Amino acid sequence: MSLRVDLVEGSRIALRTLGVNRLRTALTLTAVGIGVATLLAILGIVQGLNGAFARQLASLGTASLNIARRPYVVTGDWWRYRNRKQITLGQMQMLAQQSRLATAVVPEVNEDSKELRAGDQSVSNVDLVGTLADFQKIWGYEVPAGRFLTEADSDAERQVVVIGSEVAEGLFPGRSALGEAVRIDNRPYRVIGVLAKKGQMLGQSMDLVALIPFKTFLAVYGKRDFQIDVGVEDASQLDRAEDEITGIMRRARSVPPGEPDDFSVNRTQQLAETYQKLTGALYGVAIGVGLITLLVGGIGIMNIMLVSVRERTREIGIRRALGARRRTIVIQFLLEASLVSAVGGAIGTAIGLGAAKIVSLVTSLAAAVQPLTVVGGILFAAMVGLFFGIWPAARAARLDPVEALRYE
Amino acid sequence: MLIKLEDIRRYYKVGTEEVHALNGVSFAVAKGEWVAIIGQSGSGKSTLMNVLGCLDTPTSGRYWLNGKDVSHMTDNELADIRNQEIGFIFQTFQLLPRETALGNVELPLIYRGLGSRDRRERARKALEQVGLGNRMTHRPNELSGGQRQRVAIARALVTEPSLLLADEPTGNLDSATGLEIIALFEQLHRAGHTLCLVTHEPTLAARCPRAIRISDGVIVKDGPGPEVALDGRAERVRAAAGT
Repeated sequence: MSLRVDLVEGSRIALRTLGVNRLRTALTLTAVGIGVATLLAILGIVQGLNGAFARQLASLGTASLNIARRPYVVTGDWWRYRNRKQITLGQMQMLAQQSRLATAVVPEVNEDSKELRAGDQSVSNVDLVGTLADFQKIWGYEVPAGRFLTEADSDAERQVVVIGSEVAEGLFPGRSALGEAVRIDNRPYRVIGVLAKKGQMLGQSMDLVALIPFKTFLAVYGKRDFQIDVGVEDASQLDRAEDEITGIMRRARSVPPGEPDDFSVNRTQQLAETYQKLTGALYGVAIGVGLITLLVGGIGIMNIMLVSVRERTREIGIRRALGARRRTIVIQFLLEASLVSAVGGAIGTAIGLGAAKIVSLVTSLAAAVQPLTVVGGILFAAMVGLFFGIWPAARAARLDPVEALRYE
Repeated sequence: MLIKLEDIRRYYKVGTEEVHALNGVSFAVAKGEWVAIIGQSGSGKSTLMNVLGCLDTPTSGRYWLNGKDVSHMTDNELADIRNQEIGFIFQTFQLLPRETALGNVELPLIYRGLGSRDRRERARKALEQVGLGNRMTHRPNELSGGQRQRVAIARALVTEPSLLLADEPTGNLDSATGLEIIALFEQLHRAGHTLCLVTHEPTLAARCPRAIRISDGVIVKDGPGPEVALDGRAERVRAAAGT
C-alpha cells in the first residue's frame, strides 16, 4: 500500500476521531495553545522591539560614521580613552581632503545636560551640539518647521539654535517655537528650526537636543575636543570607509605602525549590538518559559494518545487483520497527534497575536509579528505533536493483531 | 490445493512452561471446499485459525496459501496476504462502531489502495449480495446481530479473497439467526468460495461437507462433516462417563 494512501486515510481517521472526542480534544488543544500563545506573544514583542529599534537606527543615519576619542559603547576601562589625544580641526581638514569615500565631513562638539529657558519655562538634560550644515544630511535630521544651521550662521557666530521636538514642546507648549528666544547658560539664542521627532534610543530621548553653529559654540565654550562625523554614499561602503578613515587618522595623528589606534571609528550598528546584548538574555528566559509550557502541552498530548491507543486497541486489531501494515497504524496515530497540536497551535497563534497586539496598545512597546512567525508557530506545534506522538504510535503499531482483536 | 499445511507447530511460552498449542498439524484444502475445524476450547483450534489467517506465524512447519509459502513471511507481507487472500468473519463481528455498514465494508479496500468511487461501488455490491442493500448507511449499533454479521461477511467478500475464514460465526447469534448465516455460507459455498469454519458446535460442523477435529494440538479425525461431528459427541459422552 502506498504512503499516499496511508496519509490520506490517516488524516481522515484523525479528523473523525478528534470530532468524536470533542472535550478531550479541546483540553489537549488548550495545553498546546497556551504554549504557542506564550511563545508567539514573546516573539511578537521581541520582533516589535527589534523593528522599532531598527527604524530608530535607520532614522539616525545608516550611512554615517563618527570619529571620536572613545567608542559609542564603553566597556571596561573607560579612563583609557580619557588619556587619548584630542581630535583637532587640522585632523578633520586632512580627513576631508584625503578621504575619497566621504561625501560629507563635519565637526561636532558637545556639552551634556544643559538647561534651556524661555520665559518661565525650562527644559533640562538637553544635549547641546555645535556643528555645521552637513550634520543634518549625515544623521538624517528632518526640519519640518524653520531651517537647519548654515555655514553662514557659523562664520558669523550667530546666536541661533535648532531644537529637538521635546525641547520645543517643553519650552513653548502649544505654540510655534520659531523666532522665539531661548537662553542657554544665560546667553540668548533665537530658534530658527525645530527637528522632527525621533523617539527613544536605548531608553534615552533623541529629541532632547539643541544644535548651535559650530563657531558660535567654540566662541562661547572654547572647547577643543571634537568629534568628526562622516557621511558615505550608502551603508555598503561603511567597511571600506572605515578602513580608509582609520588610515588617514593614524597618519594625521602620527600613530606609529604596530601601535593600536588612539581614536575610535563608531557607527550606529554598535548601538544595535549593545542593544542585542542587553535584551538577548531576557528573551532567552522568556522563550524558555514558553518552551516549557509547550513541553507540558506535549506531554499532555502523549498522555491522551496513550489513552487513545488503549481505547482503540480492538480497532487497531481489526485494521491490522484487514491488511493495515504497522506503518499505516503509526502514520494514523502520528497524524492524529500532530493534527491536535497544529489546531492548538493555530488557536495559540491567534491568542498570542492578540496578546502582542494588546501589549502594543497598552504599553509603548510596538509588538509586531511577521507572517513567517505565524506559519512557524503552527508548524512548530505540529512538530511538538509529532514528537510526543511517536511513542504512543509505536505502541499502537507493536500490538499483536490476535491480542488486539481479543481486547475488551 | 488452496491450503497446504505441513507439520505446523506453534509453541508458546507461558511463564516457564512451554505450551504446545499446535503439535504437528498437516492437512490440505482444495479450492471450493467447505471445511469445519472443530474442537473444544483449548484444543488448539483458535491457534490454528490464527495461523490459517496469517495473524500468527507457526514456530515450525510450512504453510502454503494459494501457492505462496506464507510460513516465513515478514509482518508487512503477511498484512498484504491478509488483505488480498483472506476474508475474516469473527464471532464478535469486529466492526468499527463509528463507521456505517458501507464504511466498514470499504475498509479492506482502503488498505488495498483503491479509489473512493471504486470502493463505494464494490462495497455496495457486497452488501446487496448479503441482503443488506437497504441498510448501507446504518452504523453497527443500529443493526441487529444477524445484520452485523452480514456486514462482516460483506466485508470479507468485498476483496474477493481466495479463502473465507469464519471463527464461531454464529456464536453470538440466536439459533434462528445462526441458521440464516449458515444458509448464507451454503450459498457462498455453492457460488464456489472456499470456506473454513472454526467452531466447537457439532451441529454446525455436521452441516459442512468436510470436518477436521482437533484435540490437544493434533488432528484426531478428518472426514465428512456429519461423521466427524458425531464422533465428537460420542467422545464427549465417553469422557462424561469417565471411561
